[in-house]
Amino acid sequence: MQEIRRKYVVPGDRIIEGNFRPLFNVIKAGNSIISTRIGIAEAGREGVKVIPLSGVYIPRVNDIVIGKIMHHSSLSWEVDINSCFSAHLPAQDVFGRDFSPARDDMGRELAIGDLITARIIAFDRTRDPMVTIQDKDLGKVPSGEFIKISATRVPRLIGKRGSMIQTIEQATHTRVLIGQNGIVVVTGRNSEGIKLAVRAIRMVEEEAHTPNLTQRVKTLLNVSDSAPADTSQLAPSQNAPQNEELQPTIQEVEEELGVEKGEKVHDSN
Amino acid sequence: MSSSRRSTIIVEHLRKQQMWDSISKGKRLDGRTLDEIRPIEIEVGLIRKANGSARVKLGNSEVVAGVKVETGEPFEGLENKGALILSAEVLPTASPYIEPGPPDEETVELARVVDRGIRESEMLDLSKLALIPGEIVYVIFVDCSVINADGNLFDATSYAAVSALMNSKLPVFEIRDRKAVDTGEKQNPPLTTVPVSITAVRIGESLILDPTAEEEACMDARITITTNSDQNFAAVQKGSTGAFTVEQLKRAAATARIKGEEIRAKLRESTKAGK
Amino acid sequence: MTQTRSLIDENGKRTDGRTGDQLREIKITVGVIKNADGSAFIEFGMNKIVVGVYGPREVHPKHMALPDRCVLRCRYHMTPFSTDTRKNPAPSRREVEISKVMREALEPSLMLEDYPRAAIDVYVEVLQADGGSRCAGITAASVALADAGINMRDIVSACAAGKVDDRIVLDINDTEDKEGDADMPVAYMSHLEQVTLLQLDGVLNEDQFDQCLDEAVKGCKMVYEVQRKALMQKYFGNETELKEEQ
Repeated sequence: MQEIRRKYVVPGDRIIEGNFRPLFNVIKAGNSIISTRIGIAEAGREGVKVIPLSGVYIPRVNDIVIGKIMHHSSLSWEVDINSCFSAHLPAQDVFGRDFSPARDDMGRELAIGDLITARIIAFDRTRDPMVTIQDKDLGKVPSGEFIKISATRVPRLIGKRGSMIQTIEQATHTRVLIGQNGIVVVTGRNSEGIKLAVRAIRMVEEEAHTPNLTQRVKTLLNVSDSAPADTSQLAPSQNAPQNEELQPTIQEVEEELGVEKGEKVHDSN
Repeated sequence: MSSSRRSTIIVEHLRKQQMWDSISKGKRLDGRTLDEIRPIEIEVGLIRKANGSARVKLGNSEVVAGVKVETGEPFEGLENKGALILSAEVLPTASPYIEPGPPDEETVELARVVDRGIRESEMLDLSKLALIPGEIVYVIFVDCSVINADGNLFDATSYAAVSALMNSKLPVFEIRDRKAVDTGEKQNPPLTTVPVSITAVRIGESLILDPTAEEEACMDARITITTNSDQNFAAVQKGSTGAFTVEQLKRAAATARIKGEEIRAKLRESTKAGK
Repeated sequence: MTQTRSLIDENGKRTDGRTGDQLREIKITVGVIKNADGSAFIEFGMNKIVVGVYGPREVHPKHMALPDRCVLRCRYHMTPFSTDTRKNPAPSRREVEISKVMREALEPSLMLEDYPRAAIDVYVEVLQADGGSRCAGITAASVALADAGINMRDIVSACAAGKVDDRIVLDINDTEDKEGDADMPVAYMSHLEQVTLLQLDGVLNEDQFDQCLDEAVKGCKMVYEVQRKALMQKYFGNETELKEEQ
């Protein structure tokens, strides 16, 4: 069967003809599969998809995002998650079931401008996303250097099984917090390390679609290519890849998305 | 009626913290020193249908200005002078917070402050632009459109308007049968001076020049000062809800004269006009 | 429209030196407005138009949101210095009409059902107008929408054809627009082979109508090549050729 590994496409481009399954960012038109985005197309036995290179972040349940508190009503905080919708963080999530606006001061807990790491617990076509900060490693981000990148580059920044971001963290002695929504916070004790990490992140963002990027990042970080990433001393990275990377196999994608055979996936991200 | 409102841009607390730390060490988040102005790009003559035009990029703030010349009645009380009408609009392309519609108070202030700097400095000798005093004069329209907003629209718009005027060629009108007729010839505008606007904002106790949108969202107060080629002051406007000490204002004024001269040289070079 | 002079000379050259089937020069730059989600700048003859796209984003006021699809808002606006005589900044009826037909030209290409309760705003700002500005605007807008990463079925390309000196010509300029006999702007999706905008201003008989429409569609296809190249250049740099490993 015909296979396509990396084809650069713009919307409307025909990727392949034949009885292939459309996976995401593609549509079937007659006997052809067409791209609906600018990106990199791949086609194989499992189906056809386009990995997009631009586009606003569309929330997905279980995504970890970094959001900014914008406002609060008496019952919830409004959180800017760098998406087309703002998210709600219910007061009960922080204060518990017996939350009382008279007694519990929302503004003191989370002020306007505060950054939080949160998980999306609800989102569908009929309502705005809802988040929680109750799990381990979630909550207010106390310090660090703040960067915004395109959400479409996040998978490449994380890398296969976290490899790219771990390379950057180790070489610069920093901790990099990545939200699926493109918000990144870099923490570390040494400001030179932080600056270098930021440069590496920007390089990945700009060159995400190019081959041999890993090599160029390693060169920038002065990391020897042969030395394997030493992860034994570190706690597991927070950036366990949650959604498809820029160059995964289609099988890995299907596993992560939990796609049933024959089910069409309409994924706007 | 003008009412208080929440700042449209909410700056992340981490960024604010970084900004304060950085400024206390004499640097800003984009690496500039406190009195450093962003790189300025000026392109003139891009709109051939206009009598003069300029596109200015001040960092990422981008403004296009065009000059159109007509004839018409003079302003009341200014019968012997040509009329100068300056307007500005912030296009909805400029930022996610702009909605199309009639100008809001910020846009109106922007247009009037830029106009004041050009008018009070007498950049154009309007007395040379009257055809029949009291009846028919040159009407010079300067229209500015902000395409991308990243702070300090006062200076970006002013540089665009001034560059467009310096770049312009006015039609030569003459009176026939008490009507103004375009002879088809062109003349240089009667320029006397080059006004330069310099904007500074107060963050904490520091004064910083040419703020980005993020810095404006963290500012206590803003001051815009226009000087002319003699380094005299022609227009000043304080903005935002905080305050300045007298000493800070005098310091800002002194800086505006010095920096104004640097920018003046840039404007002249880009438009290759004299004086 | 009565003609007082010949617009095509004896060698078949038009007022700007082109032949009947030649397009004016087109240049498209992608990603020119930093704050926008997508943007493009187009120079099409003397037209200079910048387009900024924001979206999908939240709808304000909230009650304007649609439950099952995205709201598309389109504004065609001319700056005061864009025309021969200065234009008043307030929206004219012409701008209102063009905003509408522009939206209706772009909407069929967009998968708006993917973004319920959100809005996509397309702002077309004409810095200099020169005949065919609505076609240039649509062309740039479709590129800006692709730059913004909005799901779309195809790219929309637009071009006008018209009748000048009793001949059908492609891409009429300002003079031909003012003094010619007919002006037919068309917007077209090249892969899907569908027309999304069609207007006619002037008189054509049946043969001329068919010919004019064919000519305009030919022009749209030529415009598409420029759009595609501009997008590939921005995103893939020098690797503008399709990369395939079979």
